[in-house]
Amino acid sequence: MQLNCKVNGKACCFEIEPNEMLADVLRREGYRGVKVGCREGSCGACSVMFNGKPRNSCITLAAMAEGADIMTVEGLGTPDKPHLLQSCYVKHGAAQCGFCNPGSLISAKYLLDNNPNPTEDDVKEALDGNLCRCTGYIKRIEAILDAAQQMKKSAKSTRGKK
Amino acid sequence: MLKKLTQFYHPTTIEEACKLLAKPKTAVIAGGTAEALRKDDSIEALVDITHIKELSHLDQDASTIKIGATTTVQEIYKSQKLKGMSGNFLKQVAGTVAATALRNTITAGGNLAAQLWWSDLPVAYLILDAEVVCRLGKPKRTVSVVQIINDTPAKFLKKGEIISEIHVPCFGNNTGCDFRKQIKTHHDYPTITAATRITLKNGMISEARIACNAVTPFPFRCQEAEKFLVGKKPTAENIEKAAEKAANSIKYREDYRASKEYRQEVFQVMVRRSLEASVEAAKK
Repeated sequence: MQLNCKVNGKACCFEIEPNEMLADVLRREGYRGVKVGCREGSCGACSVMFNGKPRNSCITLAAMAEGADIMTVEGLGTPDKPHLLQSCYVKHGAAQCGFCNPGSLISAKYLLDNNPNPTEDDVKEALDGNLCRCTGYIKRIEAILDAAQQMKKSAKSTRGKK
Repeated sequence: MLKKLTQFYHPTTIEEACKLLAKPKTAVIAGGTAEALRKDDSIEALVDITHIKELSHLDQDASTIKIGATTTVQEIYKSQKLKGMSGNFLKQVAGTVAATALRNTITAGGNLAAQLWWSDLPVAYLILDAEVVCRLGKPKRTVSVVQIINDTPAKFLKKGEIISEIHVPCFGNNTGCDFRKQIKTHHDYPTITAATRITLKNGMISEARIACNAVTPFPFRCQEAEKFLVGKKPTAENIEKAAEKAANSIKYREDYRASKEYRQEVFQVMVRRSLEASVEAAKK
């Protein structure tokens, strides 16, 4: 069957099996930032933005994404032009093996999109489903709080210029 | 998993969904988080009900909270509309369900229909005397949540029938609720889930509810212990006896997380503490 959806802003049409999971389809189509860890929705490595909200793509049937707007980590930034969150992850060393990063970045993006002034507890809750087996939990919290601060500053200076 | 699946439908009305679900070897899907557990490989078609706008809503008036079946657990948890004892209690319970990405996926109706031992919302529905609206096209019937749980949704719902809405009464003064679960990490599967509600009238218990999950294979109401409390004073002795009755009234499940013996011992303590907390809340 065919799956029509948007991935990272681009209209796509994928040929899928009805019982395939979204994570497998996305990876096959080249979105390798989507990692498959547990296959039971527990580790969060496969998190993608699904109609604006983080969702575990390893337990989402791809056919459910018909008409959906999906964002993977590839839609966040590129090595040449990283998203501020990605730059802050680098700055704070919030990556060891890196396997959990695509998923946790999606969760972090969702948090900052909806709460530009998060507390440490807000960050912990937003990333509660993104396990990091290198146990890099502190650094990613620091990175996200730093990104939030920088976003606020840049928003202020933009307002000032106007 | 779903080896014979060939069709996937996305209806936009309840009537259309029910019509499709009446076909043989066809099943419903909403959040779909339990899909990986589906053992029935005979299914040939799935009907995704998340595109039906009528099923996704959350409203509260003076007497009732109405939750659409495909409303997500995260929407309940973060709702600004839910207020008062029942509303805040539902939010509290929803906030303990799994992790953010899963709460964005798990639905209020699916959590009930899947009837799994780790589900939290059905325990809250049970102690709040929720009612479930079931639709078979246009016709609908409203049944108590305890009836649908005891019969099991799979047997209770007719072919083509879906859960469309959950109605939760708004309890006011003199009523207190408490929910607690024992869990190794925030989003592991629980070992014990317990919830209680107490309503006081002239210093006596006029209504009591005790429900559990995780210790049992399905959400369960400890009705013998509830009956024992009604008409009695909320003394430490009565609460202890009720907790003991509740703990003795269930057949315990076990897994590698905890033995039956451990669950029974700890469940009794949790029910006692939960009843104490509900009584205190009811007095406020």
